[in-house]
Amino acid sequence: MTIRTICVFAALMTIASCGGPGKADDPSDVTSRLMTDATGIDDESFSAAGWKGMLAYYGDSWDNPEGKGRLYDWITVPSHDLFVPSLKQVSDQGYGLVIVSGFMWDTALAEVAPLYPGQKYLIIDVKWLDGPNIMQASFAEHEGSYLVGLAAALKARADGIATPRFGFIGGVPGRVITRFEMGWIQGIRSVYPDAGFVDYYANAWNKPELAKAQARAWYDSGVYAIFSAAGATGNGTIAQAKEYRLSGRNVWAVGVDGDQHRAGVYADGKSAVLTSMLKRVDRATEYALRSVRDGSFEGRVYEFGAANGGVDFAVSNPELGDAIVAAVNAAKAGIIDGSVVVVPGYAEAKSLGLAPDGLMARDD
Amino acid sequence: MDRRAVPAKIGWAVFLERLTATDARLGVAVAGLGLLAGGLVAALAGGSPLGLFRALLQAATGWDAARQVWNIRYVGEWLAVATPLILTGLSMGFAARAGLFNIGAEGQYIAGLTAAQFAALYLPPVPVLHAFLCVAAALAAGAVWGGLAGWLKARFGASEVVATIMLNYLAFYLSRWLTQAIPGATTYRTPAIPASAQLDAGFLKTLSGGSNLGWGFFAALGAALLFWWLLERTRMGYALRASGLNPDAAMAGGINPGRVGIFAMCLAGAFAGLAGASVALGSFNHGRVLSEFDNYGFMGIAVALAGGARGFGVAAAGLFFGLLASAQTLMQGQGIPRELAVIVSGIVVILLSMKAGLGALAGRLGGSAVGAPCDARPEPGEGNGG
Repeated sequence: MTIRTICVFAALMTIASCGGPGKADDPSDVTSRLMTDATGIDDESFSAAGWKGMLAYYGDSWDNPEGKGRLYDWITVPSHDLFVPSLKQVSDQGYGLVIVSGFMWDTALAEVAPLYPGQKYLIIDVKWLDGPNIMQASFAEHEGSYLVGLAAALKARADGIATPRFGFIGGVPGRVITRFEMGWIQGIRSVYPDAGFVDYYANAWNKPELAKAQARAWYDSGVYAIFSAAGATGNGTIAQAKEYRLSGRNVWAVGVDGDQHRAGVYADGKSAVLTSMLKRVDRATEYALRSVRDGSFEGRVYEFGAANGGVDFAVSNPELGDAIVAAVNAAKAGIIDGSVVVVPGYAEAKSLGLAPDGLMARDD
Repeated sequence: MDRRAVPAKIGWAVFLERLTATDARLGVAVAGLGLLAGGLVAALAGGSPLGLFRALLQAATGWDAARQVWNIRYVGEWLAVATPLILTGLSMGFAARAGLFNIGAEGQYIAGLTAAQFAALYLPPVPVLHAFLCVAAALAAGAVWGGLAGWLKARFGASEVVATIMLNYLAFYLSRWLTQAIPGATTYRTPAIPASAQLDAGFLKTLSGGSNLGWGFFAALGAALLFWWLLERTRMGYALRASGLNPDAAMAGGINPGRVGIFAMCLAGAFAGLAGASVALGSFNHGRVLSEFDNYGFMGIAVALAGGARGFGVAAAGLFFGLLASAQTLMQGQGIPRELAVIVSGIVVILLSMKAGLGALAGRLGGSAVGAPCDARPEPGEGNGG
C-alpha cells in the first residue's frame, strides 16, 4: 500500500470519527485488552494487525505505545487449557472491550461471555457464536485472495508466459485457509482457465524451512508464483523467491495478511513479493473500539470484505505496473457490485468447476 | 542432626545454616528469594514490583488489592492449574529416584490425554463409571508409553533420555493423526465430550465460585501420597531407590535393575498420563488435535527438581509453579512482562540446585562441617521423607 493510500485511509477515518458537529469523545473513555495465544503480537499476522488497530484507535504507534498498560494492553495465554480461566480473570477487571484473537478462542468465549453480560467482547475470525455481548469479525479472505491471484496471472501474461503454473502453501488446513486457496485459484483461472496448480500444507504456522524447500522444488519445476497463507511458515517462500530472483530467475512470492513488500526486498528497490493479500484485522479492532465508545456496539457478526476495505491487495511493488493495478481494481469493483462472484469453499468451487480435484484444502 | 552444637558467633551464618537444615525450610526460603528477585527484575523491566506481589496475592487468595474485592474462584483456578504440574513433577521425580532421567513426561502426558479423549468419545456415557474408565485409559496409556522407554533400556540398553525425547515426538504426531481420524473431527478439535466423562464436581464448582477445580486436583494429591507410600513403604520402592543410588550394589543385592527400571518408568508414565486426563477431561468439553506441546511434561522437570523428587515436596513445588502460572495473566494486566513468571521459576530452580553449596557455605561460616544433602536424586531417608 502506498503512502498516499494510507493517507487517504487515515483521512477518511478521521473524517468518519470526527465528522459532524461536536467532536467525538476522548478515545481513552474505553479501556481494552487484547488476548492472544502464546505467540503474542509478534506473529506478523493477525494478532499484530489487531494490535495495530488498537494503537490507531488510541492515537499511538507501534514503537511508542504511550497508553499501553494504562488504557490498553495485550495478554498472552501460554496454553489452551488456560483460555477460560484467563478470560475470566481479564473479564473480572471490567475493561471497556476484551478482544480475543483467533478462532481457537471460540469455545472459551462461548463459556465465559454469558457469565459477564456487562462485558463487551470482540472475537476475530469467528462467526458462529451467539450472545448480545459478542461482536464477531469475519473476513472474506477469498475476495482478497482472488485479487492477488488475478494480479499474479496478469503479470504472467504480461511476461508472455503461455502456460504458467501456480502454487499455494497453507499453514494448518481448515476452512479459513481454504478461503485463501480458493480465492487464489479463481483469480488465476479468470485469466488462465487451464493454469496448472499445486498446493501444499505445512501443518504448522512457524516452519519457514518447510515452505522454503517446497517453494524451491516448485520453482525448479517451472512454477511462476506462490501464494502462502501460513503465518511465519510463508516467510520461507519469500526467502526462496528472493534467492531465485537475485540469480535472475522470473519467479514471484505473494504475501499475506500485511503488506510483505519489505520482507521480499533483495536489491535496491526490488522485491520478490509481487503483491500481498491484505487482511485488515486492524480495521475490525479499531471499529469495535469506536463502536463501544459511541454506544453502537452490537453483538453480531461483522463481515469484512472487499466492499468495506476489510480485504484488499497491496500495490507497493512497482513491477506490478499501472495496467495490472487498474485491472485488479476493476475486478475489486466487480466483487463489490456483485458482477464478480468468488466462492469460499472447496466443495462448492469444485462443483462449479472452479477448482481442480485432488487439492489438500478442507472445508471443516 | 543436632544444631545446638554450633557456636552462635555469627548470627546470620547460623540463620543460613538453620535455613538449609531441611529441604522444606530451604524450599520455602528459596521460593521467597526467587520472588524477591522477580520483584527486582520486574522493577528493572519498568514494571512495578508491587504489581507482581499483588498479582500473586490475588492468584493465591482471590483478594484483588487494587479494587478491594475478594473472589474465591481464584483459589480454585490456582489449584486447578497446579494439578497437571504436580502430576508431571511426580512423573519426573519417580523416575529420578530410580536413577532414570525421564524427559518423556510430555509424551506420556500426550498419551494419557489422547487415550482419555478416545475413551470419552467412544465409551458408553454411564455417569461416574465413564469418567473412571477414561482416567484408567489415560493411566494405562501413560504407563505403556513410559514403560516402553524402560523396556528399551532394559532390553537393548537404549538411553532413556534419547528414547523418551523421541517418544515425545512420536506421541505428538501419533495423537494428531489418530485424533483427526475421529469422525466429525476437524483439523483442531473433535466433537463434544459427554458430561459423564468430565472431571467436574458440581459442589467444588459451587464452593470455588465457578472455577475449573475438579476431581483432578484430588487425584494429584492422591498420587503424591501413593508416590511416598510406594517409595518409602514397599519392597519395590526400596529396590527402586537402591538401584537409583547404586545400580551395581543393587544388582549384587539381588535386585534386577532392568525390571525395576521398567516398573519405575511405567509408574512415571502413569503419573504423566493422569496429568493428561486431568487437562483433557477437566479443562475442555471437546477433544483437541494438538497443534503444539502443552509443555506440562517439560515443566514437570523443574517441578521435580524444586520438589527434591519427593512426593510432598513435588506437590508443594507444583503448587508454587501453579501459582506463578495462574498469576501470569494478572501480572500482564499489571504491566509486568509475561516472561517474568518464567524468570522467577528459573531463579528458583537454579537456587535450589545450589542447595548443597549453600549448606556447605553455612557450615563453613558457622565453623562446623554441615552440608545439606540435596540433589534431584536424594538419598533414602534423608530430609523430611517422602
